[in-house]
Amino acid sequence: MTTLSHYLNSVRDNLRLDPPSEREVINELETHIEDELQELKEAGLSEEEAANTCVRLLGSAKLVARQIYEAHSQGTWRQALLASTPHLLFGLTFALNWWQGISWLLIMLVLVLGTAVYGWWHGKPTWLFPWLGYSLLPVVAAGLLLLYLPKGWSWLAIILYVPLAAWLVYAITVQTIKKDWLYSSLMLLPLPIVIGWFIAVRLEGSFPQFSLERLHDFASWVGLSFLALGVSVAIFIRLRQRWLKAAILIISGILTLIMVVGYAWSQLGLHTFLVLILLMLGIFLIPALLERRIRHSTGT
Amino acid sequence: MAQRRGLMKGNADSLILCLLGQQPMYGYLIIKELERRSQGYFEFKEGTLYPALHRLERAGLIVGKWQTLPSGRQRRYYYITDKGHRLLAVKRSQWQDFLTAMNLIIQPART
Repeated sequence: MTTLSHYLNSVRDNLRLDPPSEREVINELETHIEDELQELKEAGLSEEEAANTCVRLLGSAKLVARQIYEAHSQGTWRQALLASTPHLLFGLTFALNWWQGISWLLIMLVLVLGTAVYGWWHGKPTWLFPWLGYSLLPVVAAGLLLLYLPKGWSWLAIILYVPLAAWLVYAITVQTIKKDWLYSSLMLLPLPIVIGWFIAVRLEGSFPQFSLERLHDFASWVGLSFLALGVSVAIFIRLRQRWLKAAILIISGILTLIMVVGYAWSQLGLHTFLVLILLMLGIFLIPALLERRIRHSTGT
Repeated sequence: MAQRRGLMKGNADSLILCLLGQQPMYGYLIIKELERRSQGYFEFKEGTLYPALHRLERAGLIVGKWQTLPSGRQRRYYYITDKGHRLLAVKRSQWQDFLTAMNLIIQPART
């Protein structure tokens, strides 16, 4: 691999933009390098000297990639609102007690699934990922509800359903990681919160008849926790720096979990809190590690 | 040199807009023109020009278009937009005011 192709690969690896934008940036740098090489060789430098000088004049590939990323990474206010909408809708559903109306829940389901499918087939824009996360919630919720099937059936359902659901979540996560692992974390962010509240509510009875009495007590706090996530996601979209984007997701995720556990301490306790914290950290670590592995295996 | 870099960093956007206000240019040409017109005073760290161009484009101040040259090579030319022209006029006026004020203080008083 030549010095210049190594340089361009290094820029590409650190850009984390949409494939068309990435191609444009790399093509533009290539044309710059061609012009520079030609001039340096006309000035009497050898091919190797010209390439080394060219790389030195361009500066650090990582820095160039990071600065170009920051030029592109800030979403508009419209995108911020779109990205936080599923969190806000979910929050309002509980805060205003709309969760008791089956027609509202159906409207939400159709809206979330429809928006996720639309975004998926239209270039996977940044605002898509929270919608995608909520479209996975019925899959997770169904798995959790299976625990309440009559004895014997629940284990059978878990053995059949859980691997299938895990495979689906994994497959979608891998697809989103190809764009950027941060978007996978953005997508999965509500998952530990939903599981936390689900455990806290402790459904009583068996499928399909549950006592939802405790959910009445928690509803306003459930709503508040998702409204808080919505605000964090809007900030995430508006930030430029990558480390700040990661930080806002991690901090808001953990603070929201603390809020959940703080309010429902008697139902959750220390062990559940620690498991949920580990799950939240896993939502950030696993996509980052998977991305590294995927990039390494595809040689990009 | 560090002082020049500092001045350059703070005014890179204005310098780019100023050049593009006169004619459309591609990245490499912008760097060469800045060096030539400033008689070597402004030396861009070349890689950092492109983030600045992309930032200006995202802000709607310039627009980039790929053009194929007669030789078959492609180059991305940048054009200043109306919004860019308006900002450039404001920046020019600010610079004139600043230079006038600086000259009043720096130049020795005439007796």
